[in-house]
Amino acid sequence: MERTVLPLAAAVSAKREGLPALVLLGPFLLAFLLFFLVPACETFWLSLTDSSLTRTNAFVGLDNYATLLRDASFRDALANTFYFALLTVIPLTALGLLMALLVNRFVRVQGWLQGVFFLPFVLPISVMTLVADWMLQPSSGIVNHLLGSQRPWLADPDWALPAVAIGTVWWTVGFNMLLFLAGLRNIPAEQYEAAALDGARGWSLFAHITWPSLRPVTTTCLILQMIASLKVFGQTYILTSGGPFNTTRVTLHYMYETAFTQSDAGYAAAIAMAFVAVVLMLSLLQAWVVRWMARRDA
Amino acid sequence: MASVRLRGIQKSYGDNLVIKGVDLDVEDGQFVVFVGPSGCGKSTLLRMIAGLEDISAGTLELGGRPCNGVDPARRGIAMVFQSYALYPHMTVADNMGFALKLAKVAKAEIAERVGRAAAILQIDHLLDRKPKALSGGQRQRVAIGRAIVRKPEVFLFDEPLSNLDAALRAQTRVELAQLHRELGSTMIYVTHDQVEAMTLGQKIVVFNGGRIEQAGTPLDLYERPANRFVAGFLGSPRMNFIPAVLAGEEGATARLRLPDGSLAEVAADVAQARVGAALTLGIRPEHLRLQFDPAAAAGPGGIPATVALVEYLGDVTLVHVRVDGVDATLAAKVQAGGAAPASGSRVRLGFDPARAYLFDEAGLAFISRT
Amino acid sequence: MNARSSLAWTVLGAASAIVLAALWAAPLLWALSTALRPELETVSSDFHWLPQTWTLDAFAKTLAAGNLLRWLLNSALVALGVTVVTMAISLMAAYAFSQLRFRGRSLVFGLAMLAFLLPFEALLVPLFRTMHQLGLVNSYAGIVLPQVVSPVVIYVFKGFFDAIPADFREAATMDGAGPLRVLWSVYLPLSGNIVWAMAIVTFIAAWNNFLWPFIIVTSTDMMTIPLGLTQTYDAFGVRYAQLMAAALLGALPVALAYVLFQKKVTQGFLAASGLKG
Repeated sequence: MERTVLPLAAAVSAKREGLPALVLLGPFLLAFLLFFLVPACETFWLSLTDSSLTRTNAFVGLDNYATLLRDASFRDALANTFYFALLTVIPLTALGLLMALLVNRFVRVQGWLQGVFFLPFVLPISVMTLVADWMLQPSSGIVNHLLGSQRPWLADPDWALPAVAIGTVWWTVGFNMLLFLAGLRNIPAEQYEAAALDGARGWSLFAHITWPSLRPVTTTCLILQMIASLKVFGQTYILTSGGPFNTTRVTLHYMYETAFTQSDAGYAAAIAMAFVAVVLMLSLLQAWVVRWMARRDA
Repeated sequence: MASVRLRGIQKSYGDNLVIKGVDLDVEDGQFVVFVGPSGCGKSTLLRMIAGLEDISAGTLELGGRPCNGVDPARRGIAMVFQSYALYPHMTVADNMGFALKLAKVAKAEIAERVGRAAAILQIDHLLDRKPKALSGGQRQRVAIGRAIVRKPEVFLFDEPLSNLDAALRAQTRVELAQLHRELGSTMIYVTHDQVEAMTLGQKIVVFNGGRIEQAGTPLDLYERPANRFVAGFLGSPRMNFIPAVLAGEEGATARLRLPDGSLAEVAADVAQARVGAALTLGIRPEHLRLQFDPAAAAGPGGIPATVALVEYLGDVTLVHVRVDGVDATLAAKVQAGGAAPASGSRVRLGFDPARAYLFDEAGLAFISRT
Repeated sequence: MNARSSLAWTVLGAASAIVLAALWAAPLLWALSTALRPELETVSSDFHWLPQTWTLDAFAKTLAAGNLLRWLLNSALVALGVTVVTMAISLMAAYAFSQLRFRGRSLVFGLAMLAFLLPFEALLVPLFRTMHQLGLVNSYAGIVLPQVVSPVVIYVFKGFFDAIPADFREAATMDGAGPLRVLWSVYLPLSGNIVWAMAIVTFIAAWNNFLWPFIIVTSTDMMTIPLGLTQTYDAFGVRYAQLMAAALLGALPVALAYVLFQKKVTQGFLAASGLKG
C-alpha cells in the first residue's frame, strides 16, 4: 500500500472557526474597545495633559501627579474615604455573617428573613438617601425622636460621615449575607456530624467548624467590602454634597468636582489613576491572600 | 458507493503523535469494528472520519470523494455518540428531525422519515417524550434513530453499548446486527469490548498505540493472530502465554524448553529463528488439556502444575493453574459436568501442537505450516 | 447540659433575628407610614407610628407633579435596553470564548477580564468626552451604551457553557448546525436558568445605576429614577410625605422584581460575585 503524506492540516481548524468567532465576538469587542479600552488609555494620557473637559490641551508630563502629591484637599479626601471604609467594612462583614447564620438556622422563616435583609440592596441609591435624610431630620426625624435629641446629624461635621456609613450598612449588608450564606452551605454536613460525635456543641461547633471553613469567604468579603467602600460616591454626594466643611468629600467626589465643576480633566484623570492604583493593589492583595489560604489549608 | 478509504492517516496533538499512520479500506455495506484498549486511538480515528477532529496527515475518502477538510454535516455520515447526546430540551421527534430541519427539508417529509425510523426501532410511542423521561435503552434507540433519519452513507458508532447494563447490552447487540442486515449501510463501530467486536463485526480492526495491529474477519483474527497483542486481546479468558526457549526444530515442529524444564512442541515454522531464542508459547484456555487423575498426573508427559483456583460458570468451568517459572496463572476451560480438580492438587497440562501459537521476541507470530 | 445551652443559643438567635429584622424593615415601613399621611402630620410635634389620618394624597401629588412618570419610563427603557443588549452580546461572546477555537482566544479573554480590575469610576471623564464627540450626551444611547460592557456576565456565561458536555455541540455540528445555530438551539435552552438570573440582575443594576446617568444626563426630562429622586429635594421643598411617596414609587419596580424572582436574583448576584449559589 502506498502512502501519501500530505502537509499538516491543523491550521484548517483555527481558520475555520476564526470567522464565526469574529462575528460572535464582534459586538462585544466593539463596545469593549469604545467604552473601556480607549477610555482607559485616554485616562492615562489625559492625566499627562492639562486638558479641560471638552478640549484637549498641552502635554505636561508628570505635573499633575506632582501637584497631587502636594494637594491637601486630595489627602483629606483620601482620609475621608479611608475613614468611611473603616466605619463600614467591619460592621458590614460582621453583620453579614450574623445574618447568614440566622437565616441558615431559622429555616422556616428563611425566605422572609433573607428578603428583609436583602431587599435594601436591590433599591436605587436615591431611595436610601431619601429615606435616610427623612429619618435623620433634626426636628421631625424618627431617629431624633427615639433618641430624644435635636442633633442635625447630616449637618454635623463629626457625625455626617458616620451617619452616611450607617445608612450604607443598611443598604448593602444583604450582599455580604449572600456571600456568607453560600459559604455556609458549602460546608459539608458530615463535618458537623463528625464534630457532634466528638462532643462539640453550640459555640465550639461554630469556633472549630464554621469559622475556620468560612475564613476564605470572610477574607473575600472584607476585601470586596474595602474596595466597594473606597468607591463610595453617591451617598455622600446626595446626602451631604461632600459637606459639612468637606468632611464627607470622598476621593471620587473630589475627582468629580475637579472634572465637572472645575473642568480640569487632566488633573481629574490623575486623581483617577491614583485611585485605580489603590484599588488594584487591594484586589491583587485579595487574590493573593485567598490563594495563600487555599494553599495553606490544602 | 459508501466506501471509506484511509491512507497514511496521522494525528498529532502538538508534538504528540497519537495516530501513527493508518491505512484502511471499508467496503460499501460492510460492518467494521474498531477495537482496542483505551487510549489506542480508535475513537480519535472515528472522530477524524466524522470530521470532529482534524487530520494531521494522510487522506480520507468517503465514497470515493476526498473529505479531509469537509464539514461533518456534508460528509454523508451520521454518528451515534457514547453518551447519546440527545438534546434535553427537545422531544424525541424533534431530536430525530433536527438535522433535517436545519437542512430545510419540508415538514411533511421530516415527519414521514422520523416516523419510519421510529417504527424500525420500535420507539414510535415515545415520539412526544423528552429524553429525561426515557430509559437508557430507549435513549440509545433515539440516538440511533437520529442517525437513521439522515439516511447517511456511513454510520459511525462510538461505544454505543457501554452505558447499558449487561442484559440490555446483549439484547441490543443482536438488534444492531439485525439493523445492519435491514439497512445494508456501511457501519463503523468502535468498542473496547472484544465480545461485541467478535459478534458484530464482519471485519475487525485491532488498534494499539495509534497503529493497526491486524485487520480481518473475526475468525481470521481469532485463529490466526498476527502477533501476541491480537492473540491476547481477542478471546475470553485470554490466551495463556508461557515464556519458552527454542530448543530445536524437527521438520514442521518447533521444540521448546519451558521455564520449569519440561519440553513442549508447537507446529510452527521457525526456520528464521536460532536455537536459544527467547520466544513466547501461546495456548488458548479451551485448547489446554488437564490431566488431573492422580495416577496419571504423577506419571511422565505434560507440564506439571498446581491448581490455584477453580471457577464454576455453569456452562463451563475455569481451572487456574500455576506453573513453575511462569508468573501469571494459566487458565484452562473444562466442560461442566465433568470432574474438576481440587484447589491445591497437582495436575499435568497438555495440548495439541497444532493448536498452539509461537511468537518471537518482537511478538510476531510464527506461521504454522499446517 | 447540652439541651439547655442549645435552647439558650436558640433563644438568643431568635431574639437577634427579630431585632435585626425589625431594624432592617423599619426604614421602609416608616417611609410607607409617612407617605400615607397628610403633609402637615409629618412635621407635627405629635409623634405617631401609624398615620392618624390615612390618605393617598402624597402619592397622587407625586404622580401629578409630572416628572416621576417620565423618569419611570426612562428607567424602564434604559434598563430594558441595557439588559437586552448586554445579554445578546455577552451570550455570543461567551459562546465564542467557550466553544470556538481561534488564534489569540486566551489573550482576548484575558484582556476582557482585565476590565474587572479597572473600576468604572476611573473612566468617567474620557467616556464623557467620547459621548460628547459622538453627540450622545443626554440621550438614551448615551446612557445605555457604556453599561453593556459586562465582563462579569460573560465570565459567568462562559463558565456555564464550559460545563455543558461537548457531545451536544458535536452532535449538532454533525446535524449541520453552524456556531450561531448551536448557540441558539442547544446552548441557550440548556442555560435558561442562569440567563434569566443574569438578565434580572443586569436589569436591577441598570435601573439602580446612579453614577453614569448622573454624568451623562443634563436635562430633567431625560433623568432616570435614581437621578430624578434627587431632584425631588428641590422640587418638593420640605414635603416629606411626597418625598417618601416618590421614593417608594421609584423603588417599586426593582422591589417587585426581587420579590417575584427572589431565587433568580440571589443566584445571579452570587454567580456574579464568583461563588456558587
